[in-house]
Amino acid sequence: MTGDLLALPRRWSAIRRQRVALVVLIAFELGLLALAGTQLVQVRVVEDRRELVGNVETIYFRNEIVGDPPLLILIVLGTLLPLASRQLRREPVLLVATQAAIVGLITFVFWPLAQVFVEGFRAGQGAEGFSLIQFEKLLETPMVARAARGTLVIGVTSAVLSTVIGTLVAYTLTLTDVPWKRWLRVLTTLPLVSPPFAVSFAVILLFGRRGLITYDLLGITQYNIYGPHGIVFVQLISDIPLAALILAAVFASISRDLEEAAEDLGGHPFYVLRTVTFPLVTPAILTAVLLTFINAIADFGNPMLIGGGYQVLATQAFIQMIELFDLQSGAALAMLLLVPALAAFILQHWIANRRSYITVTGGARTGHIRKLPGWIKWPLFGLCVFLAAFNILLYGSIFVGAAVKAWGFDYTPTLRNTYGLLNSLPMLRNSLIVSVGSGLLGGLIGILLAWLVTRQRFPGRGTLDFSATLMYAIPGTVIGIGYIIAFNAAPYFWTGTFAIIIVAYAFRRLPVGLRTAVAAQKQIDPSLEEASLDLGASRLRTFTQITFPLLSRAFFAGVIYIFIRSMTDLSAAVFLNAGRTQLFTVRMFRVMITSTPSEAAAFAALLIVIILIALSVLSKVTGKSFVDLFRV
Amino acid sequence: MAETFATASISLQNLTKRFGAVTAVDDVSLKVESGMLVCLLGPSGCGKTTTLRMIGGFEEPTAGRIFIGDETVTSLPPYARPTAMVFQSYALFPHMTVYDNIAYGLRARRMPRGEIEKRVQDALALMELHGHEKKSPPQLSGGQQQRVALARALVTRPKVLLFDEPLSNLDAQLRVRMRGEIRAVQKRLGITSVYVTHDQEEAFSIADQVAVMNAGRIAQIGAPRELYRQPTDRFVAEFVGLSNIVAAELVEHSASGALVRVFGQTIRSRRPPRNPGSAVSLVLRPEALRIEKTGGAGVPARVLAQAFVGPLVRYTVAVNTSTVLTVDLHNPGPDEFFAEGTPVTLQLPSEVPALLG
Repeated sequence: MTGDLLALPRRWSAIRRQRVALVVLIAFELGLLALAGTQLVQVRVVEDRRELVGNVETIYFRNEIVGDPPLLILIVLGTLLPLASRQLRREPVLLVATQAAIVGLITFVFWPLAQVFVEGFRAGQGAEGFSLIQFEKLLETPMVARAARGTLVIGVTSAVLSTVIGTLVAYTLTLTDVPWKRWLRVLTTLPLVSPPFAVSFAVILLFGRRGLITYDLLGITQYNIYGPHGIVFVQLISDIPLAALILAAVFASISRDLEEAAEDLGGHPFYVLRTVTFPLVTPAILTAVLLTFINAIADFGNPMLIGGGYQVLATQAFIQMIELFDLQSGAALAMLLLVPALAAFILQHWIANRRSYITVTGGARTGHIRKLPGWIKWPLFGLCVFLAAFNILLYGSIFVGAAVKAWGFDYTPTLRNTYGLLNSLPMLRNSLIVSVGSGLLGGLIGILLAWLVTRQRFPGRGTLDFSATLMYAIPGTVIGIGYIIAFNAAPYFWTGTFAIIIVAYAFRRLPVGLRTAVAAQKQIDPSLEEASLDLGASRLRTFTQITFPLLSRAFFAGVIYIFIRSMTDLSAAVFLNAGRTQLFTVRMFRVMITSTPSEAAAFAALLIVIILIALSVLSKVTGKSFVDLFRV
Repeated sequence: MAETFATASISLQNLTKRFGAVTAVDDVSLKVESGMLVCLLGPSGCGKTTTLRMIGGFEEPTAGRIFIGDETVTSLPPYARPTAMVFQSYALFPHMTVYDNIAYGLRARRMPRGEIEKRVQDALALMELHGHEKKSPPQLSGGQQQRVALARALVTRPKVLLFDEPLSNLDAQLRVRMRGEIRAVQKRLGITSVYVTHDQEEAFSIADQVAVMNAGRIAQIGAPRELYRQPTDRFVAEFVGLSNIVAAELVEHSASGALVRVFGQTIRSRRPPRNPGSAVSLVLRPEALRIEKTGGAGVPARVLAQAFVGPLVRYTVAVNTSTVLTVDLHNPGPDEFFAEGTPVTLQLPSEVPALLG
């Protein structure tokens, strides 16, 4: 196909055209690399010393290398590596796509993370060599030691509790015959819609010092929601739907045939539950535990709002980086966060790969309704109704709060709170630019990677898939810190640009775009693409005419998912945005801390409305119901 | 469309394909003369589809070379090869009309619009698809989809046509009709074709030559009659038709044939054994055996089972405790039905085309 672009003579044999095209391509790439090299590695002449001999002063200069030679080397390696494959050498388009994927992942996933480690093991600003001094310093600080313990306690507690409750909810709403299932499913999923810290804000509106329930209804003045129990409480509210979604998918996919076979072979219902049903859902339960754990330890907004001074690692990192501007201890803290998250992720990946049974049940009868005795069924139903009602209360309070004069004091309706919003329109615009940009970029990379991973066979394919999925496990805080360290100094100066936030979000949410695209790609018969190639269409033409049109729904779904996640992100945003690029969530967060609850509620309400609109578009595009949208 | 194609021969030289530790295709060499249709026949997993996909360029050979005409295409990607494949699933693009599907390969070659129009119309006429060009593939019946797939492959005027079990998604009757159509078009255009199937009847009815594949190798290649009458090994004999393979005692042999003894009877083989030193066996086709009432000369046997399948009765008979044979009695008369347990006499053929081993 490059042969055609280059308009190589038709009389040449196909093999000759192929070879010439490859040589031209490699020459072009070498040129690009050289250009990148001059940007990434620059030699600066700096004054070394001065010597005064007699009255002649001699100034000695030395060359100093600035920039990132290691990154350049990695990029060069990433470009050269695919050349080792015979198949790729023959197909220029595949070659370029693979190279782009590898270089992209190296630069925007691996490099920022590596920088966190490099910086964390550094003795101080600009110091050379390996040192553990940051960790010693941190662990000697009682605050940090407490924060580390606190993070772990909060992570484990909320992971276990939300998985248990989430499992019960998922079971009830998938496999039993309780009434109102449709509505309960939507209402229990609600917290996934909003930015996570909106939950703690709403909880404060309800249970805070002047909370509607605690103060106005119950007249309690002694109760204090602020603290670790508050953090766990709001984590539960956001993580129960996550765990429930993961498990509902598995419950729905368990083949009734398997259970019937087990019963037919003489198993009592409880024996079947223990030996067939439970083993089938175990991997999903572990997945839920690990993902909710990562969520809980990585969260920044909730502990900041409702922690009441209780420190966790994410908030400590923020203080070190942004308020004290101590890059090294910020990085060390990020590492403390990253290590358990990565360990959890790798464990989860390993389990999921070893024991996934979901694919076995294609075409089988699934989602069979179990008849449960009333004393089990109705308490489960009660639990779901309670959660649903609670969520209505939470989100209701945000909208009501936005429409009254002063929550907690004066409940007269007013439009006054929208004035604050008008001042924040530039931030809203920034957020929209960033979210649309990262959505498009992430969606596109997702499609490209999905195609490479599912359709092409080349060495290192598994690694590519793994590193793209890896970002799922990286706390937003760590990504923010990593990007700042990696791209802050010469030669990038990216801090404060939209580009850095867009790229960070696109790669952070890449797993979502990738999973959506992979699922869609697997639905498409590979012989469609083969037929196109066979009929003489180039790889590029096949991708644009066959693959992409068939994947367009998945692409738009990916774009909107990433858009929503980017609109609601706070933990990476606080590190990456700057004055000119301040994001709506960051502004909203500041308002929540400094302003009246009612003004802040207006921000949260607007954001929720935007997301609901995006979700309804998504629902149209994918033809999925509201709840299924979150199943990725 | 009516003119003959600039077709070319196909030559596979020592083709091998390994997937990890599995050898899917093992040192296969094959020559398909220009204008011929060769069937690759074999059970699933024998390497026939992998061989076809290597010709099409979808799999890269681990070793060996592929020629189309005089040109080596081994290292060319699929889109640069003069081949066109008809896929098992048809692989019709679901988001395009029938017309766009057929025109796809021509547009990919940036052909002028008028030429595309003309060629697509010719192809529609050839495959009797007029009136369907605006439809989308799912609106067509299985047979029509099959025709669109064939039209789409033919319209680019490939030098070689490849068929990957193209009829396996059709019902039995349509299968017979479509294979007739495919063969008619292939003969009319005189286009070199490779056709993969696991159905012996389909292979025999459509092919000039059949290559029986087993465990990644070509066990035997020849015209259908030759394969059926003179299988060279046990696998081929069993795969190309229900066969009774019995051990025989070599009495004498010369360059022009051999005499063997089976169940006390002497049978002549028109070909000498290939390894006279070792044990020989021979194929007794079910239809070559006769079953009679006891009394006459022949091999005494006992009926174990009978199955009436319309045009023939299939008997399973025991000759001795260790040998069970299948006997097909075509168009049986009223006195030729034997109940289970009946002693009978078996007539062996006096002559077989060849010996195994």
